[in-house]
Amino acid sequence: MNGMIAALLAQDALTSGAIYALLAISLVMVFSTTRILLIPQGEIVSLSALTLASLEAGHVPGTLWLLGLGGLVVAGLQALSGQIRGAVLWLAIPGAIIAATRLLAAHDLGAAGRMTLTLAICAPLSVIMYRLAFRPLARAPTLVLLIVAMAVHVLLTGFSLMVFGPEGFRTRPLLPGTITVAGMPLRLQALVIIGTAAVLLTAMALYFGRTLGGKALRATASNATGARLVGIRPEAAGEVAFLLAGLIGCISGMLISSMTTIYFDTGFMIGLKGFMAAIMAGLGSYPLAAAGAVLIGGIESYASFYASAFKDVIVFALIIPVLIWRNMIDSRNRDEEEE
Amino acid sequence: MKRILLKAVPVAIATAFLNAPAQAEIKVGVILSLTGPAASLGAPAKNTIDILPRKMGDEDVSYTVLDDASDPSAAVRAARKLVDEDKVDVIFGPSVTPTSLAVVEVAGQSGLPMISFAGSAAIASPVEGNKQWSYVLVAPERTMAHYVFDQMKKDGDKTLAFISFNDAFGDNITREFSAAAKEAGIEVVADERFNSKDTSVTAQALSAMSKNPDAILIGASGTPGVTPVIELRNAGYQGQIYLNQGMANPDVLRVGKDVLDGVMLSVSPVLVAEQLPADHPVKERATEYVTAYEGKYGEGSRSLFGATAWDAFLITEAAAARAKDSGAPGTPEFRKALSEQIQATNELVGAEAVFSMSPTNHNGTDLRAQTLVRIEGGKWTYVPQDQPSQ
Amino acid sequence: MKALAPFAAALCLAALPLVLPQYWLTLMNFTGLAAIVVLGLVLLTGVGGMTSFGQAAFVGISAYTTAWFTTQAGLSPWLTLPLSLAVTASAALLIGLLTLGLRGHYLPLSTLAWSMALFYLVGNLPQLGSHDGIGNLPPLSIAGHVLGGRAFTWLTWGAVGLAFLSARNLLDSRTGRALRALRGGRIMLQAFGADIRRLKLLVFVHAAVLAALSGWLYAHMMRFVSPTPFGISAGIDYLFMAVIGGAASLWGAIIGSGAVVVARDLLQDIVPGLTGATGATELLVFGLVVVLVLQRAPGGITGRFAPPPRLPRAALSHDATPLPPRPAMTAEPLLAAQGLTRRFGGLTAANDISLSVEKGRILGLIGPNGAGKSTVFDLLTGVTVPDAGRVLLAGQDITDSKQTAIARAGLARTFQHTRLRGDMTLLENVAIGAHARGGCGALASIFRRDRAEEARIFATARAQLQRLGLEARAEVLAGQLSQGERRTAEIARALASDPTVLLLDEPAAGLRHAEKQHLASLLHQLRAEGLAILIIEHDMRFLLDLVDRVVVLNFGQQIAEGTPDEVRANPAVQSAYLGEGEA
Repeated sequence: MNGMIAALLAQDALTSGAIYALLAISLVMVFSTTRILLIPQGEIVSLSALTLASLEAGHVPGTLWLLGLGGLVVAGLQALSGQIRGAVLWLAIPGAIIAATRLLAAHDLGAAGRMTLTLAICAPLSVIMYRLAFRPLARAPTLVLLIVAMAVHVLLTGFSLMVFGPEGFRTRPLLPGTITVAGMPLRLQALVIIGTAAVLLTAMALYFGRTLGGKALRATASNATGARLVGIRPEAAGEVAFLLAGLIGCISGMLISSMTTIYFDTGFMIGLKGFMAAIMAGLGSYPLAAAGAVLIGGIESYASFYASAFKDVIVFALIIPVLIWRNMIDSRNRDEEEE
Repeated sequence: MKRILLKAVPVAIATAFLNAPAQAEIKVGVILSLTGPAASLGAPAKNTIDILPRKMGDEDVSYTVLDDASDPSAAVRAARKLVDEDKVDVIFGPSVTPTSLAVVEVAGQSGLPMISFAGSAAIASPVEGNKQWSYVLVAPERTMAHYVFDQMKKDGDKTLAFISFNDAFGDNITREFSAAAKEAGIEVVADERFNSKDTSVTAQALSAMSKNPDAILIGASGTPGVTPVIELRNAGYQGQIYLNQGMANPDVLRVGKDVLDGVMLSVSPVLVAEQLPADHPVKERATEYVTAYEGKYGEGSRSLFGATAWDAFLITEAAAARAKDSGAPGTPEFRKALSEQIQATNELVGAEAVFSMSPTNHNGTDLRAQTLVRIEGGKWTYVPQDQPSQ
Repeated sequence: MKALAPFAAALCLAALPLVLPQYWLTLMNFTGLAAIVVLGLVLLTGVGGMTSFGQAAFVGISAYTTAWFTTQAGLSPWLTLPLSLAVTASAALLIGLLTLGLRGHYLPLSTLAWSMALFYLVGNLPQLGSHDGIGNLPPLSIAGHVLGGRAFTWLTWGAVGLAFLSARNLLDSRTGRALRALRGGRIMLQAFGADIRRLKLLVFVHAAVLAALSGWLYAHMMRFVSPTPFGISAGIDYLFMAVIGGAASLWGAIIGSGAVVVARDLLQDIVPGLTGATGATELLVFGLVVVLVLQRAPGGITGRFAPPPRLPRAALSHDATPLPPRPAMTAEPLLAAQGLTRRFGGLTAANDISLSVEKGRILGLIGPNGAGKSTVFDLLTGVTVPDAGRVLLAGQDITDSKQTAIARAGLARTFQHTRLRGDMTLLENVAIGAHARGGCGALASIFRRDRAEEARIFATARAQLQRLGLEARAEVLAGQLSQGERRTAEIARALASDPTVLLLDEPAAGLRHAEKQHLASLLHQLRAEGLAILIIEHDMRFLLDLVDRVVVLNFGQQIAEGTPDEVRANPAVQSAYLGEGEA
């Protein structure tokens, strides 16, 4: 392997790592506010990528169905529990997004317009998912939450396949082409991905580390009753976390859709790798999650280069020593046991 | 509704106090990968089943389609359901090799023929045990390799690298092409693998290129196979890239766009039916199929896995006509005769190939089952060949 | 009547294949094969709290083992059965040794990781047929007669029956009680001499062996193996089945497996009829159904429609004698600590603490909140290891011994926050105290060779309850006991271990006056029987009337020691503690 290839692999590793990192921090955030391991986060990524691709092709994206039906059910539930204002909002906002999309889909909106529209369609899906699937189970054991997360993943995969079909889609890169720095070709889109991930990661770390709102969100996870006492409703915190996760998921999806082909079931593997990174960070630390993600991306790239058939064997087998190491660190800091 | 209607209508007719003895219908069970990793192979076959004739000769025919989620256990469950519940006379499918190999056992034990849509010759050879009941219609990889290596020799290419799926599909292509390469005097310098849903194939592309192959063959199916091509071109690979017939669908062209220009593949002639010379043996049947399929699903929608389903129908139809003297559809005698008659298929022209089966050959295709196609301007373009005799 | 119900159910099941249409036999087979795996998963995940995505991989290891040996080595499937079980069990042992120490979400992720690694590995091993797998497996046959159709269904469900019995027998045993207390009960279990690591490994291997049984049957039913059915989605499916059935219930394993298999099949029939689409819609609806079922019934189907299962404690004689007492220890003092020191970061939680308790004596340990009393308890019982100092139990140095070993040596404790299992009866909770006094292992339990010992364990537990006046509440779930009853139950459990030294952590907290009186007289009685007792208590009057000597701690320092009267008179104690503590 010469220096050039090593550098290209590093670029590849960083790009994959950046995407896994975005997944990982969403998972860390959602877990630390709600105890939910958000397996379907991967589906938000693939749904938004497919939505963007479908807008690019001038079609009305099938995700509108999900938004419309989901919004309708949420509105119905709100109306049933007497919250008329909420019900109206849940009818009006998705309705407006759907109407806007149907009107605009056939026109050339430019990249910015398409991305805004995709964000408007897909980010609310995450909140709908929280409202319909998880919020009724706030008190359920972690195992049940995990299984429901799996079931939502299955549901969304099925939906995605039904609407977008089994074949893949790609979008045009935001910044096509490459630049050469010190004789090294750098893909601009890769730089966009790595840059965006870095900005989002920093923003998240600052928000949760430095601001009151962020600290309040974190507090709900460790102590729901305490949070309630100081005026934070855990449900509201969960909603904020899911909305943030939805936004990050959408951005990730739109970013990678030009680097690689996205399929109805791409989300699961990306989600799994993000999940591994999140767990390597003890489901708590944003910088560590990012580091874990880049580590996974790196192992993957170099393993693919040397022994591609055994790439996944290597990636998954190497996780185990990392887990054992993490566990040792954790045990040293924690004598309490969980029920 | 469709499925219920398809079943209900013939039953209603059969039980409607006709004076003539109740006419039995031929029941076809179809197992496809409509979900799971191989979903892209199952979809066009399903589309084709939907446009198949509802009659074989005078007999009514019904189709029951079940999904196997690309999983052998589910395929066996589906097969048992078709055999035990729906009492089918013949099984079409499954879509991929592992599911097909699993269903071979059910079909064999139950004594009814199975016509697989998968590519591996191992599903129906050697013809013994339960495999006496199984048939494969797709031309073996060796035939593909023949055309590819012919072209490589013409171009003076001597080394080949693979970038293939890390699954049964990729295994098959790599294994068979490697074996054929040895005979053709072509050296295989790299065998890279990737998973269909990997987000990056950059490392594999770089690794393959680091061995400086004259040509690279993509052993993947559907749009995932486009990713390595894009990566190779991005990294500046100049050599010839070959796809395989698992990628012969319109989505591949859509996803690949101009990156695919100049890429070639050996594929069943049905893909370029209209462009075939008038005397090409399968031109007529292939055009029929393409017209029927694209009439329903739109221009340019043709795909190879659908054509296999079409040919399965043609072969079964011909065999059924000869088998019905041995027993009425639904009886073990009929099924046994049906399998024997499929095995006796001789010079039957299908959309994909000309089939001649025998007790030792349950594939029956020859060199006429393939041709070389180049992608030009986002279109499949026929590359004229010396007409193969047999 | 009730005792006959299982037999009736079994008989009905056995008759089913005679009346069901052919295809339903296939569904029964798949249900049965899944149920065997899920039974193991119920033990592992539902009861033991260890979530595993890897059960499908164990099914695969076994299926591949039998596939390889029957096709490559030409062995009979009946010979490969023990081989498959052994290979899978060894694999589980190895993986378990590596990963079972993992806590929280690390463990499930590790199961995900190694099963994925294994999946991709097998697909790339030409010796195992690569991704195409291995075909042409011989069918199961007896004397040349092939077991197909109904015979195979009977065989499968026979195996389900065996798996069910093995799981039920295991749960209804000494090991099973520990297992049921495992989730969140680690420290308590170790305090009664249960080896957690061993316990986890045991249930992990047991679940793997059940998976192996299923894998062997699967391989010879399909007569073809390939990697896909043992991948991660199958592993997830088994979890679906377990949770939908009710993760902690053995019947739930069977019901959940049946529900998922049948639901999938029905969806395949119904959904395409409604929507005209096949495949994708079924996935969508399946996901939706699972979410809705779990929202309506987070405890799964059995949790919704049946009360939490009580174990029958089958075949126990009621006139068994309690377990024999342990040989008396003579080396005095029975418990001694010398210069115990423990620091947490910059904080010294205990500094140079020395104390001793003799046979037939009660020593009180007092001090304001945060004085380090609980730390001393943890140091004495091996929960934490001291930075300096020694602990002697009847002259034996136990400073570095594990909690388990200390418990087995005759030291028992109660917990300040009661650690009873709310979903187990009072009697079962107390029986956990006698854990270390029994010797029957998991195998003995599974084959019911433990009944005599079990009877004696329960006789012991019952005797303690009787002595503490709780025998009338023996069969009440511990979750329904009053605070006073829970405190007393803690003591009963400790006594069930037949301790030489008893450590009581605030036994009178939350007790009413009459209950305290009763407790005091009990402790007097225990002292008279020769126990050495160390007690932490906040109620000074209660404590000082009871004990022979007192050790006083403040800020981790030992500030006084003496008889109650001496301590009362000690000015340092008065200023540090009594002045503010006893108004």
